[in-house]
Amino acid sequence: MTRVDGSGRYTGVWLAIGLVLLILYLPLVPPVFFSFAPEAAGEGFVTLRWYAEMWRNPLLTGAMSTSLEAGLIVAIVTPVLALAAAMAIRELKAARLILLAMLLPLFIPGISMGLATSFFFRIAGVAPSLLTIAVVQILWALPFATLVVLTAMSTFDPVYLEAAHMSGANRWRSFRDIELPLIRPGVTGAATFSLILSFNETIRTSAVQGPLNTVQTYIWSTYKQVGLSPTLYALMTLLIALTVLLVGAFLVSGRSKAVS
Amino acid sequence: MRLETAARRAFLLAPVGFVSVFLILPLAFTVAVSFWKRSLLTLTPAFLINNYVDFLTGARLKVLVRSFSVSIEATAIGLLIAYPIAYFLARKARADATRLALMLFTVPFLINYVIRAFSWTYLLGRTGPVNSALAAVGLTSGSVDWLLYSDFAVLVGMVSSYMPFMIFPLWMSIAGVDQRLIEASWMLGAAPPRTFLKVTLPLSLPGVFAAIIFSFVGCFGESAVPTILGGVGYQLIGNEIASAMDTLNYPLAAAMSSVVTAAMLALLAIWYALFDVRAFLGKILARR
Repeated sequence: MTRVDGSGRYTGVWLAIGLVLLILYLPLVPPVFFSFAPEAAGEGFVTLRWYAEMWRNPLLTGAMSTSLEAGLIVAIVTPVLALAAAMAIRELKAARLILLAMLLPLFIPGISMGLATSFFFRIAGVAPSLLTIAVVQILWALPFATLVVLTAMSTFDPVYLEAAHMSGANRWRSFRDIELPLIRPGVTGAATFSLILSFNETIRTSAVQGPLNTVQTYIWSTYKQVGLSPTLYALMTLLIALTVLLVGAFLVSGRSKAVS
Repeated sequence: MRLETAARRAFLLAPVGFVSVFLILPLAFTVAVSFWKRSLLTLTPAFLINNYVDFLTGARLKVLVRSFSVSIEATAIGLLIAYPIAYFLARKARADATRLALMLFTVPFLINYVIRAFSWTYLLGRTGPVNSALAAVGLTSGSVDWLLYSDFAVLVGMVSSYMPFMIFPLWMSIAGVDQRLIEASWMLGAAPPRTFLKVTLPLSLPGVFAAIIFSFVGCFGESAVPTILGGVGYQLIGNEIASAMDTLNYPLAAAMSSVVTAAMLALLAIWYALFDVRAFLGKILARR
């Protein structure tokens, strides 16, 4: 502990922070534990049965592909919108209002957003589909993605753009050749965040999904109908593992870039 | 050239358009529907206030009041834990340690709180590890019942769900406080506690308010955590809306949802009027 802050004066504080983190991480353990637990004695200590059973449930494999498809759309569209929003906040006069609009989805409770969008789609005559799922998930991911891109942009000196402009590059070229490479970590970060948020979204998605299911809404609706089961724990474990992996991949890619 | 400018402008305004069409418009719509007439499976435009009367006079008012008090409690507890952590990370800890700590706070937030709530039902259950630990230490004899399916469990679920949400804005605004102001206060003879009360705390208020809003909004509209951790019959306004939706009583759901949303937007308006939104983002939006 003393190594972290160089003196040891703050050991107590770090211990307290460690305790808070422990409490936050504790809930990640039981699903993993239960997902490998055998149903009856005699099956050994660990079983992969629940993971194997997942693939035999067509409802569930359907939910997995919906999750992947929606995640992909969200991870592609959200960073582009976030980039546009961040540029608008930098360049346009109504910066404060634009930022407020981008942060708005954070201020609307999930159930209210789900209700409002499902109504809207119903009255606009848009049937529940992958598209409606993607729209609410993009709304949900947009504030986070915008903040990530804004953070990356704040480390970027606009003087480079002026230099490019003076060297005769038009705006598109100076964006493509100068700015985009410099803020790329922010854009990939926004994409990673969006993908993770898409995989983990439940309440908003279940309001607009119609007959479809994502992995997360499958867990939620099965819980409400019949309660928890080892298969659900296996699914939760997959989602936890996927989230941790994505965060790890993002951090590793950021580090290797920082070194080079 | 003009075409290029127009295309660029369209690109810059696309996100605002997206939010307006898919969120602001639907929310306005919800307000309209809350006055509509419902007859079995069809909705007809009307101007009826019976949904609001129903909502604000009957047993549902109690649910609203309870939601308020639970959200305020969860937010207060969260703030008491999150502010010292954010303060320490922003002012005392080394930069690399801060980065690591903030990253560690992000991961559990990214994992859906529904999954985390499921885990708490095991952890806090009668035969769960928390009860076992309490008994093993000798603090309790037998198992403690109020750990699960109680206000306590709902508070645990909410505070842990929104903790990272609070730490980030707090950290951003505290880290954004100009170090020179703190040094000036110190040089003018103010002791550290006084400097904190007169300089750091007031300047970090935008972040405090943002943290309060994030936590309060989340808790107030929460529908999954009370369902999972509150037990049978535990109702907050979030589940009340969800069950009205399940029974296809859309106008009532819309009325309750509109009241909740209006409360949130009022908070947001206060925040917007009092502080520059960019202030809480401090470092991120620092203009050169």
